[in-house]
Amino acid sequence: MSQTERESRSEATAADLRLASAVRSKDRKATAEFVEAYADLLYAYLAHRLFPNMSHAEDLVQEVFLTALQNIGGYGGKSSLRSWLLGIARHKVEDHYRRVLKESPMDDVETLEIESAEQNEDAGFQDYERARAAEILGRLREDYRLLLRWKYWDRKSASEMAAATGKTGKAIKRALSRARAQFRKRWEDACV
Amino acid sequence: MSDRISLENLLEGIAEPETRQASSRLKSRIYSKLVLAETGSGPLRSLTEVKADGRRLCVFEELVQISPVPEPVKAKNPCRVCHARLLGEYVEGAPIYWPHCPYVLFQNR
Repeated sequence: MSQTERESRSEATAADLRLASAVRSKDRKATAEFVEAYADLLYAYLAHRLFPNMSHAEDLVQEVFLTALQNIGGYGGKSSLRSWLLGIARHKVEDHYRRVLKESPMDDVETLEIESAEQNEDAGFQDYERARAAEILGRLREDYRLLLRWKYWDRKSASEMAAATGKTGKAIKRALSRARAQFRKRWEDACV
Repeated sequence: MSDRISLENLLEGIAEPETRQASSRLKSRIYSKLVLAETGSGPLRSLTEVKADGRRLCVFEELVQISPVPEPVKAKNPCRVCHARLLGEYVEGAPIYWPHCPYVLFQNR
């Protein structure tokens, strides 16, 4: 069970309901308490989901809070405020992925040849390799980076990505292939 | 790092960033935006009501609250004209120390 799934099962406490009610009544002190209580959680979550490109994390945290404020009237305490906010954050990330990939001219870029090389026997994933992988991922085109993240971190299938972005499955697969190839090429260049 | 398996493992194995904390500037900006959004749809809860609910006011809010002005004035947001807001929004770890000021609350110290 993922952390998010565990979170979604947590229940609202009396404190959650009181805080939501006070924010709804436009109590400025409650609004400050709301921000202080959940900004770190949301920032950590969004920074993780957008890692290694953090430039959007701050914008999305603000969007999550504004959306929460607009909808707090509908918060009925079926889940904890924490889970409710994480749910909004999850949707914001998905929207961000969809927006970037929808705008991506996936079919217009040249196909890069995937280079084959000898298998690295010593594929112990040491910290420095991970850091280097993160750095390379961070330097990829944003659409490629998000495709790889969606595929390998969020386990989205090509057809799910296609449905979410309005692209064809074939276009997604080709773009994924190019993203992998570009990642691979940069990795190998960095090894030279 | 050439076969598909090792590429997948490498991408999956990218370490999660360590837990991150939102900056005090970000929290301050969010708070300002939320209160601004709240004022956009009608008056805030008046400082008199806020205080009656047991919440503590900062010295400036206290001044507004005890002033002989109509209640609607006490529903305004004095933070809009307060230097603490500006410092909070633009300076990380801003040197502001007013008790019960929201922008002080956000300072990570």
